[in-house]
Amino acid sequence: MSKLKNAVLGCFSAASAFFLAVPSVNAQNPPKLSDPEIAHVAVVANKIDIGYAEIALQKSKNAEVVNFAKTMSSDHQAVINQAVALVTKLKVTPLDNGVSKKMMADAEKTKAMLHSKSGKAFDKAYIDNEVAYHKAVIAAVETVLIPQAQNAELKELLQKVDPTLKAHLQHAEMVQSNLK
Amino acid sequence: MNNLPAACKQTFYLFCMLPLLISCNSGTSTVGNPHSSTDTVEIRNMKFTPDSLVVKKGDKIVFVNRDMVVHCVTAIEGDTWTSGALPTGALFTLIAGKSSVYYCAIHKVMKGVIIVQ
Repeated sequence: MSKLKNAVLGCFSAASAFFLAVPSVNAQNPPKLSDPEIAHVAVVANKIDIGYAEIALQKSKNAEVVNFAKTMSSDHQAVINQAVALVTKLKVTPLDNGVSKKMMADAEKTKAMLHSKSGKAFDKAYIDNEVAYHKAVIAAVETVLIPQAQNAELKELLQKVDPTLKAHLQHAEMVQSNLK
Repeated sequence: MNNLPAACKQTFYLFCMLPLLISCNSGTSTVGNPHSSTDTVEIRNMKFTPDSLVVKKGDKIVFVNRDMVVHCVTAIEGDTWTSGALPTGALFTLIAGKSSVYYCAIHKVMKGVIIVQ
């Protein structure tokens, strides 16, 4: 029961980074974001997962977890590179916003939680968070970022990123299953 | 397999590799049937498309990475052949020798099959 509770809380916590980033904002009433703000949220979301991967690469001894973390670091950096290339081309400066700030604050708490664990407990916490985080990011990309993006190229980039996130989620769930 | 001496492993891998003559990052190969046809498998949206391909022995199969992330194409059984890392836009040419189930070893949920008739 406590495992279930933790899983639900973990998922809620990650999802809240997007849907409760601003007080009174939720999935039914998502934040309104401009294209520069969407670009900022996209870059921050990728940077956060690279940060989690860096912790995993420092702490984990599990080959499957380490390989997954390497993939997350490489893939999310590739997405950031694409986003930076696009905003440079469009002469748009990503704009910090409430959603980005809340995500960063929540990520710091998650990093502290990960740093406090070791061994198998760390591996489980890292992968559980990856599953929850990718579910939340996919939901945000599909229900907030893509629908609100005004620029066609920004919208197209987000649409290209979506299958990558879904493959990451499947991969994380596979590793999660193997850890049990 | 891990307990075998290195020389035995090399022999094993050489034996397994022979049926599959591979040319990486090249659209052409100097080896193979001159009457063979060429099929293309696109790696796009984190999938091999098509993910199932029926070919004849000696046919060329060109894998091309259209995604923004690095992929690879690797035989699942024994990792007997692999493209190595394929950055965006990179090609990998495989000359079909025997049926193979393959995957992306970087994104292990991505899988495909080649059926050699």
